[in-house]
Amino acid sequence: MMKSLFRIIRRYSLTVGVIILIILVSNGCLLTGIGYYVSKQEASERFSKISVSTMELIGDEFSERKDGNQMPLPYVLSEKGMEILEDSEFIWAMALDREGKAVWQWKLPPEIPVQYSIQDVAAFSRWYLADYPVRVLVSGELLLVFGCDPGLIFRHSLVISEPLVEFLAIYGKAAVFINLLVILLFVLGFGCRFYRSMKPIAQGIEDLAAQKPVHLKERGAVGELAGKLNEASELLLSQNKALARRDFARTEWIAGVSHDIRTPLSLIMGYSDRLARDPSLQNGNRLLAENIRRQSLIIRQLIADLNLTSKLAYQAQPLKKTRCLLVALLRSAISDIYNEELEQGGEYEFEIMMKEEMEQVWVQADEGLLMRALRNLLGNSIKHNPAGCQITVSLTRQEDCLSCFVQDTGPGIPEEVVQNMAKPDSRVHIMGLCLTDQIARAHDGSLEFQKRAEGNYDAMLLIRESL
Amino acid sequence: MEIYERKILAVDDNKEILQMIETILKENGFRQIFLAEDAKAAMECFLTVQPDLVILDIMLPGEDGFSLFGRMRRKTNVPILFLSAKDEDEDRLFGLGLGADDYMTKPFLPEELVLRISAILKRTYHFLDEAEYREKSFFVGIREILPERALVRSGTEEIPLTAKELLLLEKLNQNRGRIVTFDSLCNAVWGDSYYGYENTLMVHIRHLREKIEEDPSHPRWLLTARGLGYRLEKG
Repeated sequence: MMKSLFRIIRRYSLTVGVIILIILVSNGCLLTGIGYYVSKQEASERFSKISVSTMELIGDEFSERKDGNQMPLPYVLSEKGMEILEDSEFIWAMALDREGKAVWQWKLPPEIPVQYSIQDVAAFSRWYLADYPVRVLVSGELLLVFGCDPGLIFRHSLVISEPLVEFLAIYGKAAVFINLLVILLFVLGFGCRFYRSMKPIAQGIEDLAAQKPVHLKERGAVGELAGKLNEASELLLSQNKALARRDFARTEWIAGVSHDIRTPLSLIMGYSDRLARDPSLQNGNRLLAENIRRQSLIIRQLIADLNLTSKLAYQAQPLKKTRCLLVALLRSAISDIYNEELEQGGEYEFEIMMKEEMEQVWVQADEGLLMRALRNLLGNSIKHNPAGCQITVSLTRQEDCLSCFVQDTGPGIPEEVVQNMAKPDSRVHIMGLCLTDQIARAHDGSLEFQKRAEGNYDAMLLIRESL
Repeated sequence: MEIYERKILAVDDNKEILQMIETILKENGFRQIFLAEDAKAAMECFLTVQPDLVILDIMLPGEDGFSLFGRMRRKTNVPILFLSAKDEDEDRLFGLGLGADDYMTKPFLPEELVLRISAILKRTYHFLDEAEYREKSFFVGIREILPERALVRSGTEEIPLTAKELLLLEKLNQNRGRIVTFDSLCNAVWGDSYYGYENTLMVHIRHLREKIEEDPSHPRWLLTARGLGYRLEKG
């Protein structure tokens, strides 16, 4: 559970990392995209037509008038230069000589002066000239000044101290790194906080699953969740308590009823036994008494079975498990049947079929209960074959289980009985088998049925081997 | 004193059960039987009669049988048998743990009650006789087995038994008429499980048969229960 919480936090941190990466990449893509888009715009094309190279091309086409005619201006632009200029995005142009006098001009607006001092040149070369952004280029003796459309470019002059530039150069690299570090610290910090606040909740869920009582502090961000968990725990506990109470009540009730039956049954058994031995009684009546005695013994067994079955069903029967030899238990169970049940005849023959190695297999079992299960199985064969039969018990190893397979030469266990085993309401008639099944399950084993070719079944008790 | 002369006090809140116990015991030869229906009457009777054995029910009105047991045991060490309708293992173990001599559950067969009472009385009051009884000889057909001398006596002939043969024979005799499994026999004689002793056990049984049977290859007394164990036939 704590591991899974850690996994959640790790995944959360990873997710944050991925989100940051996605934002960075998408921003990069967006910038590239915008740059590309802008470069495809008309304005951008226009912008390229005010480049330094354009100005240089124009500058190369200037020449002094050969005719020496100073008027109106001493310099001329060649045809080719004129073409380039016309094609460019400059809206006016002029050329200044060393004295700051305009020696050539093109489309010069009237508000632009034609004579400049050094101060004027210094000012407009970095700034605007009468609200026109200008570009300047020194070409031979001339200073070429090109006026641009104020809507096309924005001019800004930047002055930065050298140490600042150096600092910025270093910081530029460090900034990315520091930012990433800060983000990482935040992610981890929040992750830890998240982990810490979720920890009691995770513990609570774990306890809930283990049916332990949950009492979490209902504070902080997860207070409400903790409250719900506490409620769920209380509900679960009260339900479990109610269930246990009901199971206990039922077990107690059965124990009480069977306790109350025992006293009158003692009288029936005692007196019928006395009558059955009474020589003054007629033979027929003695037989009747003997019959009552035998039936009361069956009732005694039924009561004991009923009690045990209800206790096993509600886990009220403590198992006293010891290590015992399975084959010894089996021999003992068969001997007991011979010694106690078969006095009155009937031709029964038991045989244990097994390999020699099965002499040494041990099980961890409540000896009394397992004996009872085996006796029930064997007794089942006897009960349903009053004329006698041959009973074979095969002991084998099946994977990690030991199998005790009981077959008899009688008709076998009918289909309905096997079907009824799954239905708890019809168990009374087959309590012996049900009890065997319960005992097997209390020992991590099971009772299974194998179909014969003719359709009926034989029972097989499976129990875990103790190594 | 014969066991039948012993005074028996039966305590049960059910009058009919008390009457039946009285009937059963009287029919089986016991002559001095006292009855009490509750703890108070039981204690009074206990103090005045000073019984030799008490049959005690657990569920009594007022004071329960366990507590009454304690009070009786503080007075004398009289043997006490619990006869209860509670068949829980815990109750049984609790009762025996207190030091009761036996614990029987209802319903019971009269024979069972008589046998247990007789056994307790013999154990308690005829300890020396009991030892003798245990050591007493028994017969297998015409042959007499004398355990204390480890001998089989047949007419004037005396055949010695080895220690293991004697242990085997005694174990079989204690369960006479019943099958005793290989496992119980090996446990009684060698204190071990059957595996590894198959042949040894068979050899000992053969030797025993040679000593107690007329025709050892067709035994009449020491019978084999195939695949299970051996049985000493009742005489």
